[in-house]
Amino acid sequence: MANLKIIRERIKSVQNIQKVTKAMKMVAAAKLRRSQERMEQARPYEERLSGVILSLLPDVERNLLPLLDVREVNRVAYVVVTSDRGFAGAFNANVIRRTEEEIRVLGKEKVDIFCIGRKGRNYFKKRSYTIIEEQIEFWNNLSFEHAIKFGNSIISHFTNGVVDEVRVVYNWFKNVANQELRVERLLPLVYDEEKVALVDRLYEPSKEQLVRSLIPRHLNVEMWKYLLESFASEQAARMVAMDNATENAGELIRDLKLKFNKARQASITKEVLEIVSGAEALANA
Amino acid sequence: MSSIRLDIVTPTKILDEGEVTYVRCPGLDGLFGVMTGHIDGLFALDLGEIKVTKEKKDYYFATSGGFADVTSDRIQLLLETIERSSEIDEKRAEASLNRAQERLASMDEIDIVRVKASLTRATIRLKVANR
Repeated sequence: MANLKIIRERIKSVQNIQKVTKAMKMVAAAKLRRSQERMEQARPYEERLSGVILSLLPDVERNLLPLLDVREVNRVAYVVVTSDRGFAGAFNANVIRRTEEEIRVLGKEKVDIFCIGRKGRNYFKKRSYTIIEEQIEFWNNLSFEHAIKFGNSIISHFTNGVVDEVRVVYNWFKNVANQELRVERLLPLVYDEEKVALVDRLYEPSKEQLVRSLIPRHLNVEMWKYLLESFASEQAARMVAMDNATENAGELIRDLKLKFNKARQASITKEVLEIVSGAEALANA
Repeated sequence: MSSIRLDIVTPTKILDEGEVTYVRCPGLDGLFGVMTGHIDGLFALDLGEIKVTKEKKDYYFATSGGFADVTSDRIQLLLETIERSSEIDEKRAEASLNRAQERLASMDEIDIVRVKASLTRATIRLKVANR
């Protein structure tokens, strides 16, 4: 009955896999809920901040602000947001593929890369792209400090004139079932000036200095938003991938059980047949 | 005593401090205080210490800066980070203070500005924690 034993072992191992994928799905779901809450919490700050900047901009000489400086684009920095871990469907592959496509258009030697997340880091490092900065193994204790750190190094890379544009490639969190790959321009910042609600009040130190101190902060919070979007998307993608895996394992188990029962019945039938024919042979003798 | 509403909004949390009598903020040009009836205004804040007086008790916070939106009966602080004096990990702050001082002393750090910033940050946090 070697066949039966093999099938039984196989069922066992698939059941174990199913347990793991199920657990991963649950963990992803819990993390997803947390990161969605964080996204909610970041919104009021972001809205107020861009509101204030927008209301101040019309009164400020734009070319005094280096972060709004639109230059001829010779060199571009890409901020590539991936996860540290896999098992999330096409989550990382999408980001990497899109980044490569974009880089191919510009030429590899004209691009600097900021790698966020291990998956992207490994990929681009192996293919010897110019990596300016990398940050891995931080997603589990993601905090606003990370956004500040990234924001600052990106700002200095831009204001030092090394690159003329900064773009971000990340997964935007549409909903649990859908994540949208997005490429957005981070620097130079563009604000559309339409709604101007001028309020008569005191500005200290001056409108210009206010804007000057607020714009880097705005960039940090944008960075924070990208990190949160990506983290939520990662968890959602993993949840969906693991849900599918659990389902597939279930199907596999059903098929294997059917096979197992068929084999079992076949062996019983064979045994009965042997006994009956043995008895008949004795009776006829 | 008349009071003023204080809200503190950061990217990671929102603190509703309720009615307070006095708020002292670190402006870019020095400290300034806000009480009820203050003129409407927008003030940039530097990194530093925020003092809040509520029901005759003083509370201290450490912040890395942001801005204050003030109207006659409300003050809203939009800050990148905020730490209550009780939440500050003194050991960590002290360690980063020492680290920054060492780096400054050895001068092999290229980025002096950054070291100085982290020195200031650590000093403020320690000061607030010891209140």
